Amino acid sequence: MTPASLRGWRLVHRWTSLICSANLLILCVTGLILVFHHEIQHLMGEDLDSSYTEGQARLPLQTLVDIAQKADPALVPKLLSFDAEDKAVSYIYLGKPEESGFDLGRWVVLNGFTGANQMLKQPEETLVGFLLKLHVDLFTGFAGQMFVGVMGLLFVVSTVSGLVVYGPFMKKLAFGILRFGRGTRIGNIDLHNLFGVATLVWAFVVGLTGAILSFSPLITGYWQKTELAAMTARHPEPMTGPAVPIDRVAAAGLAAFPGKDLAFIAYPGNEYAGSRHFSVIVRGHTELTQRLLSVALVDAETGVVAEAAGTPWYMTVLMLSGPFHFGDYGGLPLQIIWALFTIVTGVVTVTGFVVWLKRPRARSLSDRTASGAKLGSKA
Amino acid sequence: MSGGMSGVWRIPAALAVLSAVGLSAAILGDGIWDWLCWATLSVPLAVCAVKLWRQRPGRPAM
Repeated sequence: MTPASLRGWRLVHRWTSLICSANLLILCVTGLILVFHHEIQHLMGEDLDSSYTEGQARLPLQTLVDIAQKADPALVPKLLSFDAEDKAVSYIYLGKPEESGFDLGRWVVLNGFTGANQMLKQPEETLVGFLLKLHVDLFTGFAGQMFVGVMGLLFVVSTVSGLVVYGPFMKKLAFGILRFGRGTRIGNIDLHNLFGVATLVWAFVVGLTGAILSFSPLITGYWQKTELAAMTARHPEPMTGPAVPIDRVAAAGLAAFPGKDLAFIAYPGNEYAGSRHFSVIVRGHTELTQRLLSVALVDAETGVVAEAAGTPWYMTVLMLSGPFHFGDYGGLPLQIIWALFTIVTGVVTVTGFVVWLKRPRARSLSDRTASGAKLGSKA
Repeated sequence: MSGGMSGVWRIPAALAVLSAVGLSAAILGDGIWDWLCWATLSVPLAVCAVKLWRQRPGRPAM
């Protein structure tokens, strides 16, 4: 590497890191707690009721929809959503009859086995909801979420550029050397380098998947406006009669993809469905395949599958970003590992910032030793 | 990478491979895959802890 390009990489590393450091610290602190959100919700009594007895049959979907509609008889069902992990938890979105989006209605959460209605608290009312909102969008909605996504991308560039400048810096130093007796700056540089390079792959993966999840409204919106819209546009027939029962729709959709589970059902008129076709979206049930979605359009008047398809690669990338960001795919030991990596990343953030604070000012300290000035240019 | 640089990258590259294996393992299955994930992902953390412990401030110089 030429000295000029190394200087360039150092500038990239310094500025991408500095810009995202404040947000990164918030993400580390909130993320550290959110890794254990299930456990915390349980302790705080905020978890959803997912109890059912072994062998108990699920209630028919129509029963669930009827229970949900009692919450607000003026609204009609628009979308059903089924939790991949908590088999009992079903989410039902009720909207205004003419509504195609998700702005004017309300979500109802039911236990799919008992029909028990569960109040969905506002995010600000629960500890986990508060932390999640701070983590995802800094309480500033869509714009904040995009901001956090850009910060995530800067963090990814910071990890890559950090790796590039690590090599030349460590050329004459042993791996993992920590020179705490040599002043604040050198001690922090060494700790930053060791912790940073040891956890680099984890930080890269969690940063990148976090950025992808931040942009999920754009990614899902793109799929809905392109592939899904093209699919429903091939079946433009309007509704003329009554719709077949929702349980028949679900059965038809599941029959198109043997061995899959229900993920979502969008009613005709919803932006994820056709004008007279339900979208039945299914997923597998292993750690990997539950992130792979497929969609069947089911004719609401005949109950026949009109078209079935997989989802494009970018939806799979988005869905797979979840586990690799949350660390929720390998039990409690992986959650603890995730938390420890988060702490290490926090240390890397703080030590990197200290190294920058303690940078020697080359011009004002012209009497610095040659070796000191050389070190100073490294960060 | 040639000559002097390869020594710099030997341990970081090994930790990177272990991390990648660990991150991928648990998504592929449960049981043995989970154990593989926990074991490999623990190595980078253990390296950080051991290096820090052995060179902690206040410890007599080696």
